[in-house]
Amino acid sequence: MGGTLEFKNITKEFPGVKALDNISFKVNAGEVVAMVGENGAGKSTLLKVLNGDYIPTSGQYLIDGKECNFQTPQEAIKAGVGIIYQERQIVPYLSVAENVFMEEMPINSAGLIDYKKANKQTQDILDEFKLPFKPTDRVKNLSVAYQQMVEIMKSYRRNPKIIAFDEPTASLSDTEIETLFEIIDRMKKGGMIILYVSHRMKEIFQITDRMIIMKDGTYVDTLNTAETTEAEIIKKMVGRDLGDVFNNLERNHKIGAPVLRIENLTNDYVHDVSFEVRAGEIVGLAGLVGAGRTETMRSVYGADPILRGTIIFDGEEIRPVTPADAIKKGMALCPEDRKYEGIIGNGSIKKNISVSILKELCKFGFIDRKKEIKIGQVGITEFNVKTTTMDKEIKDLSGGNQQKVLLARSVATKPKLLILDEPTKGIDVGAKTEIYKMTCDMAKKGIGVVLISSELTEVLGLCDRIIVMCQGHITGELSREEATDEKILTLAMKDMLGGQGND
Amino acid sequence: MTKEKKIPNILRSEKSGLIIALILMIIIFSVLTDGKYLLKVNIINILVASAIVGLVTIGESFLLICAQVDLSPGAVAAFSGVLVSILLGAGINMWFAMLIVIAVGAMIGFANASLVNYLKLEPFIATLATMSILRGLAYIICGGKAVFISNHAFLKVGVGRLFGIPYPVIIFVVLFIVFIIILARTKFGRRIYMVGGNANASRLAGINAHKVKTQLFMLTSALAALGGIILASRMSSGQPTASDGLEFDAVTAAVLGGIAMMGGKGSLGGALIGLMILQGFNNGLLMLNVQSFWQTVARGLLLVAALTFDYIRNRKNK
Repeated sequence: MGGTLEFKNITKEFPGVKALDNISFKVNAGEVVAMVGENGAGKSTLLKVLNGDYIPTSGQYLIDGKECNFQTPQEAIKAGVGIIYQERQIVPYLSVAENVFMEEMPINSAGLIDYKKANKQTQDILDEFKLPFKPTDRVKNLSVAYQQMVEIMKSYRRNPKIIAFDEPTASLSDTEIETLFEIIDRMKKGGMIILYVSHRMKEIFQITDRMIIMKDGTYVDTLNTAETTEAEIIKKMVGRDLGDVFNNLERNHKIGAPVLRIENLTNDYVHDVSFEVRAGEIVGLAGLVGAGRTETMRSVYGADPILRGTIIFDGEEIRPVTPADAIKKGMALCPEDRKYEGIIGNGSIKKNISVSILKELCKFGFIDRKKEIKIGQVGITEFNVKTTTMDKEIKDLSGGNQQKVLLARSVATKPKLLILDEPTKGIDVGAKTEIYKMTCDMAKKGIGVVLISSELTEVLGLCDRIIVMCQGHITGELSREEATDEKILTLAMKDMLGGQGND
Repeated sequence: MTKEKKIPNILRSEKSGLIIALILMIIIFSVLTDGKYLLKVNIINILVASAIVGLVTIGESFLLICAQVDLSPGAVAAFSGVLVSILLGAGINMWFAMLIVIAVGAMIGFANASLVNYLKLEPFIATLATMSILRGLAYIICGGKAVFISNHAFLKVGVGRLFGIPYPVIIFVVLFIVFIIILARTKFGRRIYMVGGNANASRLAGINAHKVKTQLFMLTSALAALGGIILASRMSSGQPTASDGLEFDAVTAAVLGGIAMMGGKGSLGGALIGLMILQGFNNGLLMLNVQSFWQTVARGLLLVAALTFDYIRNRKNK
């Protein structure tokens, strides 16, 4: 076939962040190429460029040697690009055939939809993929894995030149993964170009021919799968500097009395969660996405209701009903979703810092402006927020600087417990390093820190103790000394391997 | 950054366009009316016409900044006008009657807020319902006929003057200034911006968004009730048909004044300029004997022009 996909010096900049920096590589038809890298390495961004979601700041990409410049996903689809995202893009109330033919249902001579033809052609693909469900099944009644297959069928039906999978196995069981791999193999033999994004080493070794390693938006290396080892990949993925970063941190060694103890905390998502956080201690909550870490801490913080359980904070049993209650008691939270739950976009940096302590800044209801400016300055200096003025709107800052403002907001309340939910998500390495340092500084001040993070390096490098959750309960606890990637991951997937399955 | 410095501060300000538009409008109408437009009598006319819609503009501006809206003020004003007339007719003390009506107004606002906070209705829908209910009730409590007022002291509220300035103008200007300060300088005002800018984030930062919204809906309805009282006094009667579309005039003024419908942005000072442009324009067209239907068309065009200007300016800033 001889089709090719080539990226040449692709750079994509967002305000304050270089998401992709001069990426170049080439993929040929009939091979499966993995894109490997940590969260924030730029894999998804690159797929979004290929898909026409993002327009690169500079550089070009070529399909079969022809330069492309997609402005919309529709153009990308027409040119033969199919991307299967982690989040499903299906319509649950429609049938399998309707989803597979989505935008171009076959039409009969009267101009009406030809369901017979659609169902027949869908059945052909189902047979080819050896899948047991029917074209007329409602998609919402299918298992998550089959829904994913529908997604793949939708792309496959368009007969694309390139098909890219973004973490396709996240919700699949082992047998389902086998089915998927058979399908990928068939596509490969059919001369498609296949890009495969995954964190799972086992799969990468099983299915890919080569792998492109990315890190912080840059291209690191290309490795032939047959000639490399897991250790080599990880070394290239992580680079050396993060290890150094953690070694150079000045950690807190004075761990005090318990600040927070929760017992049998149960809400709609988690069951019987119990643990303790001490003053000056950094406790990591590790686990896969959806393990219930955020949900646990949101309940503690009064943001979501509690069904059962006890919260003992600073020696006193409490049950915060609103975040305002929790703040009053001495908790602070930096939420995971910075944009929707953290920043108040139109507000200035100063106003974003002072929002949680308005009461203290007020005399007879009037805000003491001098005091507010002082608080703003302290926050900006202490957390090294890079800005010319504190009156700048926070939405114009980079992700890292926004996060620093949110830290300043949290610390302004003088908390005893600080909950950091994915504090370095989507942040460049420089800011990450600073945030690690700040986290240690806060522990040194005697603040108990709960760090929810999906980045294992971060959890291993920062935390004194690591609590691992899976499917709504705690599956284990590791001390800093005994924790390793492998042990955490095993605990994080404990219940899934145990055959309880996900419902 | 260096380029911006050459532009004078006033032109970069959010309100620069508005102030220029206001001045231009005044100049044009002054020329077209041989200066009659700027006579004291006419300026007072404009202010009197602004008073009632101005009170509601305060409420709608607060609500819009908080990413809410209220469609019921016109109906609340009509209902309040009828109610105060009936109470006065029953011989109730004028001050007590006014107090009752304003309190009833606040309760209506509380009902609006409850629909939004607890039933999770969109404010547009919730207040559409209360608008209809109150307009209907306004007709029901008076049997569909205007209720005339004979209480002379009360009739002074709408037409009396202090130092030559009508009471409604004094009430409106004083309240506007007070609320400009409240919005800009107090905790309450700041919370409105924060909740409007991002309700989720505000809640996690410790702000009780429900409480803020409740206060705002109550304030808006109370101000609408006050507007209804003043209008009843000016018309010497409570009329169930009164104040139709009052809320839309208020929203128009607020939006003209640079308050964004998505919340978190704008100022009451801007809304005041917006209101002056809107009312000044109406008055100017009236003086030029333009058919009143055209005034409605002109109001729409004005809004489109203002938003177009805003769009262009925002795009340039990017």
